[in-house]
Amino acid sequence: MVDRVAEARIDQALVARALLGSDPRAFEQLLRRHQGMVRAQLRRLTRGDEAVADDLAQETFLLAWRKLDQFRGEARFSTWLYRIAYACFLQRLRKPSWPVEAGGEGELEQLAAPSQPVDLQLDVERAMQGLSVAEQTVLLHCVQLGLSHEEAAYVLAMPLGTVKTHAMRGKAKLRSRLAAWREMASEEPT
Amino acid sequence: MTNDPHDDAIEALLRRQFAGAVPDDGFCERVMRRLPPRRRRRTWPVWVGMLAGGALCGASLLPLPLLRAGWQDWLHGDWSVSALALLSAIACMSLLALGWAWAELHDR
Repeated sequence: MVDRVAEARIDQALVARALLGSDPRAFEQLLRRHQGMVRAQLRRLTRGDEAVADDLAQETFLLAWRKLDQFRGEARFSTWLYRIAYACFLQRLRKPSWPVEAGGEGELEQLAAPSQPVDLQLDVERAMQGLSVAEQTVLLHCVQLGLSHEEAAYVLAMPLGTVKTHAMRGKAKLRSRLAAWREMASEEPT
Repeated sequence: MTNDPHDDAIEALLRRQFAGAVPDDGFCERVMRRLPPRRRRRTWPVWVGMLAGGALCGASLLPLPLLRAGWQDWLHGDWSVSALALLSAIACMSLLALGWAWAELHDR
């Protein structure tokens, strides 16, 4: 928590420096601090399409540079960037050239537990793909990117209650789909 | 987040499945090369607006007899009701501007 506050202060100071002197070096530091997670967010959203994700990440940072004076520190800088990145992703999604992949709403049945534990990661991936797009997106932001429900609501421009519902439903579905793994784990001798 | 142990297990699985931050690999350099020069915010419209607003305000208030009387009394060192009303109005406006500036400062 203290780390988060300290990180947020560093970001605020860098934003102020970038704004006051129109200092590209301060912005470069912000870019270096946040590019990894923003690109990771976009890679998940684009289902691993690295080229499109990096293209969107570039668009995100150029937009952030242009709109830097609109950042008023109400949210953390990283959260603000995630919000821009998600908006860029949605805009790209609306383009007709984007390959539309229907987010299955609960059509995936419970996955059978394979014999090799290494397959667990693959099954988690498959189970995730069986969730609705909204549930996947909320879990990505709340669990994998470590945002609070309030921050995820800000990034995704969703009501807080909707975020909580998607998170709860998504986890419940994953729990039932990965139940075989839990049973196997409980059967294993300790 | 909840403290349900099943939820914790699911969250742990999801975190493990997430690859985490992507290494730079020249990304920052590419973005920095494409960064356009920052346009300086124009301040003249604010100043023109402030001056025009002040002039309009003065033009509409000056013909008021109460204001004129207060101004003249004040200039002659006569602390009449109208002079005190004028001073109170100026003090209130100054306090309002101070409060506004203070709030803006804390927002930054």
